[in-house]
Amino acid sequence: MRVVIAEDHALLREGIVALLRENEIEVVAQAEDGDGLRRIVNAHKPDLAIVDVRLPPTFSDEGLRAAIAARESHPELAVLVLSQYVEPIYTAELLAAGGAGIGYLLKERVGDVGGFLDAVHRVAGGGTALDREVVAELVRDRTVGSGDDVLEVLTPREREVLALMAEGRTNGGIAEALVVSAGAVEKHVSNIFAKLDLPASGSDHRRVLAVLSFLRAAP
Amino acid sequence: MSVDPPPTEATDERDSTLSVHVLIAVLLGSLVAVVWWAVDRGDFWPQWVWLGLGITVALNVTWEIARREPRGAAAGYRTGMAISVLLAAVVVAVWALTGGGRFWPMLPVTGLGFAFAVLAVFRYRRLLPGTKRDLVERVDVLTRTRSGALDAQAAELRRIERDLHDGAQARLVALSMQLGRAEQRLAGHEDAASYELVRQARQEASAAIAELRDLSRGIAPPVLADRGLGAAAEALARRSPMPVTVESELTARPLPVVESAAYFVVAESLTNVVKHSPGASATVRLHVERERLHVRVRDDGRGGADPLGGGLSGLRSRVEALDGTLSVTSPPNGGTTIHAELPCAS
Repeated sequence: MRVVIAEDHALLREGIVALLRENEIEVVAQAEDGDGLRRIVNAHKPDLAIVDVRLPPTFSDEGLRAAIAARESHPELAVLVLSQYVEPIYTAELLAAGGAGIGYLLKERVGDVGGFLDAVHRVAGGGTALDREVVAELVRDRTVGSGDDVLEVLTPREREVLALMAEGRTNGGIAEALVVSAGAVEKHVSNIFAKLDLPASGSDHRRVLAVLSFLRAAP
Repeated sequence: MSVDPPPTEATDERDSTLSVHVLIAVLLGSLVAVVWWAVDRGDFWPQWVWLGLGITVALNVTWEIARREPRGAAAGYRTGMAISVLLAAVVVAVWALTGGGRFWPMLPVTGLGFAFAVLAVFRYRRLLPGTKRDLVERVDVLTRTRSGALDAQAAELRRIERDLHDGAQARLVALSMQLGRAEQRLAGHEDAASYELVRQARQEASAAIAELRDLSRGIAPPVLADRGLGAAAEALARRSPMPVTVESELTARPLPVVESAAYFVVAESLTNVVKHSPGASATVRLHVERERLHVRVRDDGRGGADPLGGGLSGLRSRVEALDGTLSVTSPPNGGTTIHAELPCAS
């Protein structure tokens, strides 16, 4: 896997680079701003770009815009956005950019090395990695915003599984997180799809999309 | 030992000079009268000497009064009046001493009065418009400096938020990452206690990051700076545990200071609804009409909000500092509407 990083904070950038290299992930180039990201994506054609939302010169959402722009010119590029804040509007913009291989995580998740590497591999492999805070907001939206709780039909366990699916986890990942067997997860997943009347899907990625589109659907 | 304050001593000193002056005048007056009586006893000329002496005493008294007056326009005015009165008295005295007859002092006294009246009117007229002009200038300066101060405050808050983001938060993230790497190396190691310590340290760092994030979001929400009021209100609505609808008709972005006041009106109002009316829902409406930004937060809760309550009065002063207005309509059981109007030349 070939990765580029756009992060203006040297300490963080070097930390992420070291962390990835320790785990045999190749970091081919680094940038400090949006222009730099565009340059290194064009030059190195990486598999994955890890991008900080806030970059110079504007320090607003420069990184997000640069990542979306880079993806438009290189649709095969997977993008993992790191942010100090969870903003649903950024999630929506990232997901609206479409395609596979999208991640949006709070920056502090890099501290959980195992979880972070899992997300990096998943996104680079065309999967999805949404921060649990993002998913929590989506779920809250769906339950609070509509006035009546559409997720009421699910058991608490099924809700947990739904949230983990929305984060982009695989059945194996969900089983590990909930400390249950893979078979139990499969059963929960099929129950959820039946109860919410979602189209059954074989691939993990399409499953995530189905769950997300359900959660993001206007009440 | 005398500890009298110096001003009193000075006054006493002047009073004593005046007394000496009067004493000398009286002595001189008596002396010329004696001389007159001893020499000719004809036409009573000492009266002219008395007049002269009287004038010097009167001048001295006037001078002392003028000196004690506080400085300023009114002091000059009073001194002018005293001198006029003195001149008129001298003229009348001369008329009386020359044996009366046709009252010729009428002319100079009227002239003096007229001159004084002109002076007074002139001074008065200059004073009033001057005061008004000063006031207008002052209001102008105050308005400008106040809005400057508020702008500076808004900019300062955003700077603090950015400093937190680039400073403490970034360092904590780096720390948590280093701890995470240490944790990874210690995993499966025989020293389970060290592994557990590092794991706990990393969780502490995560908690600190989360707290700092909430704190800086409260200071200056990044989505407000990045995407404006409409998006920030949407974000508040999403984060609220009750159903909130946002209707935003904003096209241009108001000044940052206005934007942030409006944001806090929405944030505080929604917090109040959640706190006081569980189970309610709310609608936020944002629009611009005649260069005024209108922020209206309406809920279907139990109403009866105290317009002078801590949160609301804080909001009011924030809005009024920008020359805006905030009204609260909250009949019992009739829901609450908070309506803020802010100037926005966008």
